[in-house]
Amino acid sequence: MPVPPSIDEAELAAILKRAGLTLTPDQVRGLLPGAAIFQGLIARVNAPLPREAEPAVTFDVEQT
Amino acid sequence: MSILTIAEAAKLIAAKKLSPVELAKTHLERIGRLDSELNAFLMVTEERALADAKAAEARQMSGSLRGKLDGIPIAHKDIYNTAGIRTTAHSKLLKDNVPTHDARVVAKWAAAGTVMLGKLSTHEFAFGGPAFDLPWPPARNPWNREHFTAGSSSGTGAAVAAGLIMGGTGSDTGGSIRGPAALCGIAGIKPTYGLCSRVGILPLAYSLDHAGPMAWTAEDCALLLQGMAGHDPEDPASADRPLPDFTAELGKGAKGLRIGVVRHFFETDNRASDATRAGIDAALDFFRKEGAEVRDIILSPMVDYFAVGWLLMVSEAFALHGPWLRERFMDYSEMLRDRVALAAMLSGPDIVQATRRRRVLCREMAKAMADLDVIVMASAPAEAPRIDNVPKWSGIEKPSFTMPCNVTGFPAISVCTGFGEGGLPVSIQLAGKPFTEPTLFRAAHAYETAMPWRSKRPAMAA
Repeated sequence: MPVPPSIDEAELAAILKRAGLTLTPDQVRGLLPGAAIFQGLIARVNAPLPREAEPAVTFDVEQT
Repeated sequence: MSILTIAEAAKLIAAKKLSPVELAKTHLERIGRLDSELNAFLMVTEERALADAKAAEARQMSGSLRGKLDGIPIAHKDIYNTAGIRTTAHSKLLKDNVPTHDARVVAKWAAAGTVMLGKLSTHEFAFGGPAFDLPWPPARNPWNREHFTAGSSSGTGAAVAAGLIMGGTGSDTGGSIRGPAALCGIAGIKPTYGLCSRVGILPLAYSLDHAGPMAWTAEDCALLLQGMAGHDPEDPASADRPLPDFTAELGKGAKGLRIGVVRHFFETDNRASDATRAGIDAALDFFRKEGAEVRDIILSPMVDYFAVGWLLMVSEAFALHGPWLRERFMDYSEMLRDRVALAAMLSGPDIVQATRRRRVLCREMAKAMADLDVIVMASAPAEAPRIDNVPKWSGIEKPSFTMPCNVTGFPAISVCTGFGEGGLPVSIQLAGKPFTEPTLFRAAHAYETAMPWRSKRPAMAA
């Protein structure tokens, strides 16, 4: 499993701001422990899959 | 009046030995006496309940009962829209929200003759809890009111266990039916994805949301599911297939069932408590003695299922709540806003990879179940923790036992396997192949009827 990069308060604040969330420094600090765990989950889903393994994100052309 | 199951009450109502009006009054009296200690209800609809009950009683007297749910007292999780009746999602953001239409499932239960007692506590928008910074307090566990109910169908779990209702609706995006069922010692089924309409239910994550029933027994869940399930062309995920009789296999016992045990989920991936593991092992012994074939199976690590489910859940939730989060961040509970805000860390490729991996995991579980009827897991890691000791990030520190069946959409039921050292319930989770709910009910019912756990209610309900 890929090792997730660490994240600091400034990076997290920037990521949140890009998503439209302008939080106070205290609020950002409150998210940091969860962000570290969350990075591990992101790394988990990004573990290598062969390119042809699963062409998800398809749709049913007949579905209305 | 002793606390009855739905199956028992239905027989008495059909035989004209139990008045639906008296049954409703008994439950309203229990709510009035006990709910101030449980916070299971956000709203009690006494007038509506008595009107429903009188209508049911009229049908009883005229021999025109609509079925086994006619006259049965129920309530709805407060993310189910109820026409003319406030539906808040337990949130400040919707505290004055009054829908104009019933959710499809609400309408179906009403048409079946149920008696609606009110609206039930939930974690905010079926996600953030337990929270103490909302307009209403969180529900408490009737086995010990200092302890957590789990969520998000927290009010339903507490109300069923305490005998305030005979059954209720829940919703399950990552375990929100099975978690409270486990910690409150009742039965709760997350049906197959697409079996029950979500139309009129406030969404959390479209690709993971399931509607389902919670009740004291698996048999009662089968009766309630019969009144909930069915195709709905307005729900794009709704399955268009014949509806089975969910009670058809009750009483057939466990003989011949082929059961796989995902032992690494609860022994190594997230090691469950001694009492939980002992309860599962005792249940497996029961199934073997009854003539079931039991063997261990191996799936991917539970965290693989969990990571896919959690990332999809928060990304879909952020898509829904983003506008409010940007403008009214502090109007949400800290539990919800902080968990959902983390979705800002996700990239488009992360979501694509999660979606690809989801189908890999679906295929893996389907392959593992090809020659099995049921797979066994834990429902929860242990007895309920204290409600004042549920850390904000506890939901993601360890993988949950319930998420795998949200990711795959396979049906899964939680039933009680006894009690732990603290006197609170422990549980087992039985999962099946898509649309095999009758077999799940068969296995769960065989176990429940052979064990003593269904004869014990919380002391406060006695």
